[in-house]
Parts: sequence; structure tokens; C-alpha cells
Amino acid sequence: MNKKIISGFAIAAAATLALGAVATAPANAATKTVKLAYQGPLTGGAAALGQDQIPGAIWAIDQYNRTNPAVKIELVKADAQCDGTVAANIAPGVAADKAIIGVIGTACSGEARNSFPAYKAAGLTMVAPSASAVDLTDRKSKANGFPIFHRVVANDSFQGPALARYAASGVASPKYYLVDDQSPYGAPLIKVDVTPTAKKNGTIVGTDSVAQKTADWSSVVAKIKASGANIVIFGGYDYDAGPFVKALRAGGYTGIFGGGDGINTSDFVKLAGGKTIAEGVRMTAASVPLATLLKPDQLADFTKVTGVKVPGLYAETAWTAANVFIQCIKAGKLTRPAIQVCVNSGSFTAADGSKFKFDRYGDPTTAAAVGGWVVKDGEIIYDKVA
Amino acid sequence: MSTLKNFNLRDFGAGIWAQWNRGTRTIFVLVLLSLVALLPFAAGWGPTSFLNTPITSFQNVLVYPVGMFVLMALGLNIVVGKSGLLDLGYVAFFAIGAYSQGVLSTFYGWNTWEVLPVGIGCAMLSGVLLGLPALRLRGDYLAIITLGFGEIVRIVALNLNVTGGPSGIAGIPNPPGFFGLKFDIMNPQNFFWVVLALILLTIWMVRRFTVRRPGRAWEAIRQDEDVAALMGVNTLVYKLWSFVIGAAVGGAAGVIFASKVMVISPDMFKFDVSILILACVVFGGIGNIWGVALGASILAYLPERIRFLADSRQLVFGLVLVLMMNLRPDGLLPRKKREKITEKGAK
Amino acid sequence: MNFSVLTSQFWSLAFQGLALGLIYSLVSLGYTMVYGVLRLINFANSEVFMVGTFSVLYLQVYILRIPIGDPALHGIKLIAYLALSLIGSMIVCALLAIVVELVAYRRLRARGANRLASLISAIGVSIALLEGFSMITGARGKIAPRLLDKWSFGEVAGANFRIDQVMAIVMPIIIFFLLDQFVTKSRLGKSIRAVSMSEENSKLMGIDINRVITLTFCIGGLTTGAAAFLYTTVYENTVFNVGFNMGIAAFTAAVLGGIGNLRGAFYGGLALGMLEQFASAVLGSQWKSITVFVVLVVILLVKPNGLFGEAVQQTRT
Repeated sequence: MNKKIISGFAIAAAATLALGAVATAPANAATKTVKLAYQGPLTGGAAALGQDQIPGAIWAIDQYNRTNPAVKIELVKADAQCDGTVAANIAPGVAADKAIIGVIGTACSGEARNSFPAYKAAGLTMVAPSASAVDLTDRKSKANGFPIFHRVVANDSFQGPALARYAASGVASPKYYLVDDQSPYGAPLIKVDVTPTAKKNGTIVGTDSVAQKTADWSSVVAKIKASGANIVIFGGYDYDAGPFVKALRAGGYTGIFGGGDGINTSDFVKLAGGKTIAEGVRMTAASVPLATLLKPDQLADFTKVTGVKVPGLYAETAWTAANVFIQCIKAGKLTRPAIQVCVNSGSFTAADGSKFKFDRYGDPTTAAAVGGWVVKDGEIIYDKVA
Repeated sequence: MSTLKNFNLRDFGAGIWAQWNRGTRTIFVLVLLSLVALLPFAAGWGPTSFLNTPITSFQNVLVYPVGMFVLMALGLNIVVGKSGLLDLGYVAFFAIGAYSQGVLSTFYGWNTWEVLPVGIGCAMLSGVLLGLPALRLRGDYLAIITLGFGEIVRIVALNLNVTGGPSGIAGIPNPPGFFGLKFDIMNPQNFFWVVLALILLTIWMVRRFTVRRPGRAWEAIRQDEDVAALMGVNTLVYKLWSFVIGAAVGGAAGVIFASKVMVISPDMFKFDVSILILACVVFGGIGNIWGVALGASILAYLPERIRFLADSRQLVFGLVLVLMMNLRPDGLLPRKKREKITEKGAK
Repeated sequence: MNFSVLTSQFWSLAFQGLALGLIYSLVSLGYTMVYGVLRLINFANSEVFMVGTFSVLYLQVYILRIPIGDPALHGIKLIAYLALSLIGSMIVCALLAIVVELVAYRRLRARGANRLASLISAIGVSIALLEGFSMITGARGKIAPRLLDKWSFGEVAGANFRIDQVMAIVMPIIIFFLLDQFVTKSRLGKSIRAVSMSEENSKLMGIDINRVITLTFCIGGLTTGAAAFLYTTVYENTVFNVGFNMGIAAFTAAVLGGIGNLRGAFYGGLALGMLEQFASAVLGSQWKSITVFVVLVVILLVKPNGLFGEAVQQTRT
């Protein structure tokens, strides 16, 4: 027994020694490669959102790596699944990797809130392609990401009203029925940002909050029919919006169905059960399609690098977000503090060639336009600025 | 084969333990404790660096899920292991503790150490409110009621304004430091030590209870509730006690968790957590605190360690559960054999 | 609170609640049958249901080769394809349920292990199936082809009698009738009841316990498979975690009616379907689960063994 105890002490002592050694070990000298992390959903129920945008970041970094071999950029995929709990564990891990000097993300607003504490402490700068909840950059909010959080997308206080207006365009007397999915994305979009404009624009004849992944929408449909609404706006993701539209059409609802960027994915039409059901569904997104900004040879290059034929939603903003970091890295900013100063004060070029800066709380000073899209014959067509 | 079948690691350990004198025991416990306390540095030290978790940070994983799961599994063990009540909604108490911390600290500016007793109190109170009707029911009816309760707490948090709805509560302050220990995101090891202290406190509490009247009452209820009632044990009161003490531990874990992650939202308190913690208890060995602690550490740590398997890690996790339960149905370190209980009674 | 919806949509809600509730009750048989015999919560049944929905989908897409988006079928072909999907789903689910019993329960039961050990083992199977299917089918939902044109028998008092929903009402009623006959009349059915009353005595009477247990799981799988077929036909989509909500609802239905009791499962499912529809219409969908829970607690306090209870000798566990 005594042998055991002695060996135990030895291990403890060795551990203490090693601890000292680790604590004093010098940080790795600057290398020729720096890392950027992409944080967003790559698996799980919201995977489509991340899978659509990450090619934009991959392409931007690939374009850069081909021209500047001096300091290469490596992209780390931090899959937080749009889940706050996962993000709360991922973020400290990303922050602990000293080679990572910036985060492209987060994709979802919920995971952004849970990542802030770790990134703030580490001084790691974030540039988000699609986290659009208002409170992330609201200076009065406790959840804001000052000073590390930035986004290249218009926040929901732009998208919400635009959605309410765009869904009602061409309708004489709009009667809104507002439904949210109780997610950190859908609920504030509907309750805070769509509601005031809808009230101003027409009347709200009913509201409901339906848990995510609900199979049976019949009671909601019954209520909508009873309310006599002619516009249904849904705040949530495509995998719920599809069955919802289907149930609405099967229940005999003939009015307009509208939704935000969460339903504006390449999967939506399929999820709704085909082009006849999805026909005429209106969507908004605070992004313009990357494909419309690219020359044919650029598009071919995009496909060659990423294997994606048509850039998905928010590929454009992901490209811009990656480029914010790339422009700083080009300027020789290779540490976290230097990147932070650079992003906070620099001027950057967006995918459409326009120049923009970030305001003090991280919103782009020239708010990007919110686009209106409509489903026509099974394709989601860019319609107009909403 | 039969010797292997009857081999009970816990009894084996207890046998060795019984041979030691007080001094040896003290030294053993101290060494073990200091080794556990040094765990946060294991990832940085060569020979133990294999413990490091990919992508997620090891020291944070030690606090949540590992430390928290051990703490909660010990709490749930009082309910499931000691008095034999199946609770499928244990996450509710965790959530109540976390939301007490969230609401009281952001609205009233209380610090974590002030909230801790209140959070525990809230969890205990909700335990009484749920337990009074639910504990009159038997067996699996209790399971569904507790399962429902766990979901209800989450749904209520999702729909109230004071809890921030789906976005949850952000800006929860870290606990104020003491003894020169700072509690912030850069020092997860300090949180680990607080959780460790809570774990030790819980273990001490459970051990005191087990050898006293409540422990004997729980044992009687677990073995046969009707007989226990017949022998004059007030079964409802003792069941309620075990339920409420379990709730208290869950509440304490919640308070610390909220002040560690600083942002809480309803999707952190899903049914999966209840199931995982129950799995920790059964996997380690129902009723045996050392088994439960070991089981919880393994089940909480494993999915993080095998993150490199990416998508298939949960699949592997499920298969490990099935395999282990089939190989060791009583858990890694099973509780004492029944015979031991009768022996003790005969004395 | 929105009571006006009751006046205009009452029958529509009731009809759809009926269709949903009867799907619940078919799945809840998977819990209640097993519970009656083994006194175990068959936790993996929700995943049996999930696999059933995918078997219907894959059968239609890859074996019957019906492309998604094609016009619905008619006549003999429609009936044949529907029948094939139904039978396929029932067979897959029954086989899977039997395998689950072999993997998760049998060895543990032979060793006389704790009930909780079996529960965790079933949870393990459940997690493995769930994650396995999420890898095979992808995390996004899958769309099933539309076999059945959703024409309506007509509208009565605001309720639209759609063919798929009528089917979701008629088929479970037939299945329950057949099952009830089987359990009360046939020799095998009687042996199931005997085992659920007393395993020891049944052994003494020469009943092969293992065979009865396999049969029980098989029946639970068959009805769950039928439910999976109805679900896929009515909602035309599925996803790897579809079983979670369905499993909780079906288990609640089983408890509501009195777990271990066939008729209890039937009426429990019905009651739950109606309750969910009316609660979400009147109070808002976000309060649906809370209403169900409160009603469940009240019913259990008044009738501790559920609406239909168990036989007296079965209440002891």
C-alpha cells in the first residue's frame, strides 16, 4: 500500500512541476499561417444555413491564399449547430487556440450570445455573416457583443419591417397572422420587428407560437382560417415553414405566405412539397445573391473551389465577412488585438464593391439593403429591394 | 466464470478500505483529492495530455459537462438510487437554479454566493410542489409526471418575459472572487474547484443521511414500499425528503452553471439532459456514490473526447451505453450486495 | 384566449384531433403492450416509429420508384402501392422491435437485472438508432412522394373530411378491433394476458415466456409500423428525430388511458389528440404541452391508474 501512496505523491509532485512548466512556456512565435474560425451550424437541424454560407468564406480565403503565399490563412470549422449549449463549450475552445485570430460568425443569433463571454475575454474579433438579432449590437442590451462583435448584414430591425411590407405589397387591406417558432431567431423577429410595421400597415388578426419541428399544424391552420387573415408571416426556419405552408394550402388557405431569411434556403421548395405548393411564397433576406455579383469566370472558379454550383443564401455576406479579415491580414495585422483595432476602425469592400465601415457597436454603417424574393415555378427568384 | 460474475469491485474496494487504519485512509483520501483537484492542468502536462479534448477547451469541459454532471448525478442518485423513485425530469431543478441566478443577478444585482441559497430554496420549493401530488403515484406514473415537469419548466421559461423568452438571459455576472481566486472566463479551473467542493459536500451529506434514519427509510421504501408503510415508515414524507434534497443539489448546480456560462437560454435545459444524467447514475452503479461519480465523469467526458469522430460520436456513445449495460447491468461499481444489508441489520 | 375559433372551427378541430389522436394510440400500443408484460418503459419505441416512417419513404422512392413531385396515383395501382407501403412498414417495425428486445432487454432480463438497467440500455439503442439515421438520411427533413391525392369527401359543419385523415381514423379502429379480438379470444393472446398477470404462474402453466415477450414486441412493432405509414401518408415528410415528440405523446397517451391496458391506449390517444388540438386553438400552441401535463396530473390524482386503470393484480410493480 505504501508503495501506492508514494507513487501517488510522485505523480502529484510531477504534476505540480509540469504545471509550472506549462505556465511559463512561451507562446508560439508568429507562424506563416494564421487561422480563422467559421462558427455556424454545419450539422443538426439548422445545417442548411451554415452549409449555404460557408462556401463564400472558403472561396474568399482560397482566392487570397492563391495570391499571397507569405501569410496563409487556414479555415477552422467550429460547428456549433445553432445551439447555445454547444456554442458555450465551443467558444472557449476556439478562444484557447492562439493561432485563431478571428471568427467568421456566428451564423445564428442564439449561439452568438453564448459565445460572447469567451470571445470578449480572449479579445477575439467576430464578423458575422447572418446573425441578425437586434440586441447583439444594441448598446442598451446586456447581450450586446461590444467591442468584439461585428456583422456585415442588416439587423432584424431592418428585415422585420421590410418583411411586413414586402409580404403585403399589392394587398389592399392586409390582415396579418403572425406565427413564430419560439427560437431565439424567430420569436424576436416576429414579436419585436415585424409586429409594429404590421400594425401600421394593416391589422394583426392573430398570433401563435409553435414549437420547432411540430408535425401537426392543423390547429394553427384552423385558427388562421377562422381569423380571416390574408397574410401569414412565419418567423422560423425552412424545415418548419415547409410543412406549415403545405398544411395551410391543404387546409384551403389561399392568401400570402411570407417568411424571413430562415426560410430562404435552397431546400425550402422541396420541404414544402413541390413547386405548386411553394408557388408565390414571399421571403426576405438581408443579402443579395452572390451569383448576381459575379462574372461567369468568377462563378466557375467558385464552383471549382467549393464544389457548389449556385452560391446559397448568405454566401455573399460570408464572403464579405471573410474579406474583412483578409484585408486586415493583408495590412499585416496578425495578432488578435491588432485585428480588433483594424476591424473596428478600417474601411472594407463588400462583395458588391461598395465600401463600408463598422459603427461603434458593430453594425455596418451603410446598412445593406433587404432583398425581397418570391418562389416562381419552383425557383426562389430575387424580386426587388423589399 | 462464476467468480467473475460475482466479483463486485465496490465490495473489493470496501474490503481493502476496511483493512486500513485511520492514518492510511486520511492520506489516501488527501492524495486522491489533490489528484482530482489538479485535473484542470492535466491537458497541459505531457504524460496526461491525451486527456485533452479536441476543439472544445478541456478546462471548460471539466466544469460543464463533467463536474456539473457528477454533481447532478449525485443529486439524482438520492432520488433514483436511494429511494428508488424514477425521475425523468431532473433537468427542471437545474433550470430553476440557473434561472434564479439569471433573474436575481441581472434584475436585483445579487451575487452568486447570495443567490446560491435562494436558488437552492427555489429548487426545493418546486420539488415540494411537484412532489406532493406526484409522489402519491407509483412507479412509472411518477416517471411521466416528472418528465412532463421537466418540459413544463423549459416551456414556461420559453414563454415568460422575465426569463427572456427564447433568447434567455444574457449578461449574468461571474461570481465575485475570494481567497485571491478570480472567477471569470479565463480561470475555469476555479469554477472546477467550486464544483468539486459542492460535490464533496454532497457526498458527505449523502453519506450522513444513508447511515441515519432517512437512509434506512429510503432503503426500506426502495425494497418494498408497502412493507415499509406497514412497518410505520411515513413513506410520503421520506420520499418527499429524498426528492427535495435531490432538487436542492440540482438547484445548486444550476446557480453555478449560470454564473459560469453567463448566458442561459431554454434550449440548454432539454429532456436530453435529464436522460443523460439518469444514464450517468445507472451506468456508474445505482445507489453507489463512487460508481455514480465515475459513471458521470465518463459519460460527460466521452462525447467531448471523441469529438474527432464528428457526426458518429453520438452513435458510438449510444452503442457504449448498450454494451456496458449488457456487460455490467448493475453499473461499473455496483452498490453493496443485498446480503450485506441483511448482515448489517442482524448486528 | 381565443374562444371564437371554437364556434367556427369546432368540428374541424375535433375531426383533426381524432385523426392525430388515433395515430398516437397506435404508437402508444408499442409502449402499453410491452409495459403490460414486462413492466418496462419501451423507450426505443419512438425510434421504431422513426425507422417506420423512413421505411415507407424509402420503399416508395427507391423500390416502387415513385419520384417526388409526380402526380398522385389512382385505381388499383394506388391501392396496391398503399398496401405495400403499409405492409412494408409494419414488417420493418415488427422486426426492428424484436431486434430491440433481443439487444436491449433479453440478456438483462435473463440476468434478473434492475429495471433501470434495461431502461438505460433501451435509451442506448434509441440514441444509436437516432444518430445512425441522422447520418444515413441527413439532418434535414426528407419529403415523401404524394401517393394519395388528398381529395375530400366533402365538408360537414366546417370539418373537411379528407381521404388521408379519414384513413387515419378508420384504420386504427380496425386494428384495435382485431387486436382486442386476438388478445381476448386466441390462445396466444390469452398467454400474453396470463404473462402480464403473473410471470411465475404462467411459467408453471407451461407458457414459453420468451416467445410471449417476442410476440408482444412484434405486435407493438406492427401497430407502430401502421402508425408510421399513416403519419407519412398524412404529413408526407419525416426527419431523423421525428420519434421524439411522437414518443412522448404516445407514452403520455398510454399513461392517460392506463398503461398496460389496450382500451386505455385507444381512448388515451384519442383524448390526447383532441386535447392538443383544442388547447392549441384556444390557448395558443405554446401552451399545448402544459395543458396536457396539467390535465394528466389531475386525472392521475383522481384516478391513480389512468382513465381505464389496470386490473387490480397488475397495479403492484
